[in-house]
Amino acid sequence: MILEGRNITKDLRENPILRGISIQIDSGDFVGIVGASGSGKSTLMYILGLLDEPTSGEVLMDDKVIDFRDKKLLSGLRNKKIGFVFQFHYLIAELSALENVLVPMIKNGMNKEEAHERCYNLLSGFGLKGKEDRKPYQLSGGEQQRVAVARALANDPEIILADEPTGNLDSKNSRIVMDIFLELNHKGRAILMITHEIEMAEETNRVYEIKDGLIIS
Amino acid sequence: MNSIVFIGLKLLKERKRQALVSVMGVAIGVAAYIAMSSIMNGFQKYFIKQAVDVNAHITLKVEEADDPDRILKAAYGSDIIADVVGSKPKELKDKITEYKQIIKRYDNDPRIVGIAPHLTGQVIITYGTKEKSATMLGIEPAPERAASVVDEYLEYGDLDKLVSDRNSIVIGKILARDLGIRERGKKVTLVSPSGGIYTLKVVDFFNSGITSIDQSRVYINLRTLQAILDKPNQVNELIIRVKDVNEADVIADQMTADTGYYAESWQEAFGNFLQIFKMQHWMTYMIIFAILIVSAFGIFNIMMMTVLEKKKDIAIMKAIGYEDSEITKIFVSQGLLVGVVGAVAGSLIGFGLQEWLESLDFELQGLMRVSGFILDRDPYYFLYGAVFAITFSFLASFYPSWRAARLFPVDIFRSGG
Repeated sequence: MILEGRNITKDLRENPILRGISIQIDSGDFVGIVGASGSGKSTLMYILGLLDEPTSGEVLMDDKVIDFRDKKLLSGLRNKKIGFVFQFHYLIAELSALENVLVPMIKNGMNKEEAHERCYNLLSGFGLKGKEDRKPYQLSGGEQQRVAVARALANDPEIILADEPTGNLDSKNSRIVMDIFLELNHKGRAILMITHEIEMAEETNRVYEIKDGLIIS
Repeated sequence: MNSIVFIGLKLLKERKRQALVSVMGVAIGVAAYIAMSSIMNGFQKYFIKQAVDVNAHITLKVEEADDPDRILKAAYGSDIIADVVGSKPKELKDKITEYKQIIKRYDNDPRIVGIAPHLTGQVIITYGTKEKSATMLGIEPAPERAASVVDEYLEYGDLDKLVSDRNSIVIGKILARDLGIRERGKKVTLVSPSGGIYTLKVVDFFNSGITSIDQSRVYINLRTLQAILDKPNQVNELIIRVKDVNEADVIADQMTADTGYYAESWQEAFGNFLQIFKMQHWMTYMIIFAILIVSAFGIFNIMMMTVLEKKKDIAIMKAIGYEDSEITKIFVSQGLLVGVVGAVAGSLIGFGLQEWLESLDFELQGLMRVSGFILDRDPYYFLYGAVFAITFSFLASFYPSWRAARLFPVDIFRSGG
């Protein structure tokens, strides 16, 4: 199993946000998580993405229990094994599209030539050929989000965690991003996508609905 | 390129104008430090060198003051607590009686280079209608050379004439100017304290650069002065030149204890000046410290603004695997870069200032007479300036960087950035 959550709970200021959620994601899975605003779906993604610590329960990656006290381990796993895509692109404004994709790679110690080649390939694969040197503000919203997807794939992660990746896009660009995800999944990449758009969720292999911190279906 | 330096540079590049202001602040601080240190220490070192060389490393004098408790201490021991409200001084010694034995005693001391006897006295010198009071220094040229560097300051190097022509004198340059003597060979009239009148020939001029000495000192043959002052075979001062000038105070204390005369080291003689120099140092360095503090606040300000503006970037960097320490380093590297660039620019400006100051030509007469600035161009000023600047920059950027590293990415993602 690539990623697994076992009986995860999370309290925020003594309010239970997650109340015992278990979830398993294997390679090739495309899991959609839907739920109303405040249901706890993003919190679950942050915990599975090792950005936040559960109040109780366990997270396993490659069948190994994660020790949340080991910050170096968490950083390393986030860099190498997980790719994040958020509703907002969170591209670094001072860096070009290429450099934004480069950032996780240089952190990973990839050599310069290999990293540049991979960046060019990823960006051109997402229809951004010729726009590698543009700053984020010189790109459209859809293009920015595609650069963010390319950045998530920079270190060839085992799983992509996407939190409302189309939430800030128009229908055309939403479709483009969704098609990219489907293609990635088709090639065997595991994806966990949080969305409140039912039609998007229906395109995944498996959909969970969260309500009041519990998976209800 | 290292990812930390890469991102740090990119972030800084986008704040070129603010960064440039901070760099300039640091550069001005470093340049000011280099230029001020060069001027201040150059002048002070020159003054000390001249003053110490022209006078003496140690001067052995007759006792200057009496101990008012001496009788009580003699009667009741040195532990007595007494408040003496008045005391008639005992007759002061006015000569060093056994000076030849003292010279002999220290002749073989490896710490001592030379000892010379002096007889000093105040006289009035007249040339034409002008008269001035002067301090006569009766010397023997050979030992004088060993114990001082008097030859270096003679315009014609004719100290030996004091031996070949006993009625000759070497006169301070300013004193000569004040009297209206422009060339050697002129004859002056000297009036002794007892009223005796003597005619002496000026054979050389003494120009140390220290105003107070050059406007009062007159060198004369020891025997001649002894005759003028009616003090046959007497000396009232011994000057001692030591190998290590920093050891002078220790040797002086020992000589005082050994001889019963008062040995004054140059550190003691110029204590007031050294104290003033110390204060000058403090004031200058406080000004430079203030400049560096202002530039450090500039860096702090930029870094705090960057951290506040870059919360989203910090969050995403953490999400893609950057550790807290790496986030700190990204921001500290920017502060350090400002410090390093500022230090390099400041060093270049400082070097340029040194060149310019050294090229200036002007006459200055005060405590000393100098032509232009006397600079101490110690390369360590560049090193210290750079170290101060980089340390200040590091300290100024550390807190904002530490704050950046402590941001919790989930909070930023939840708030939508």
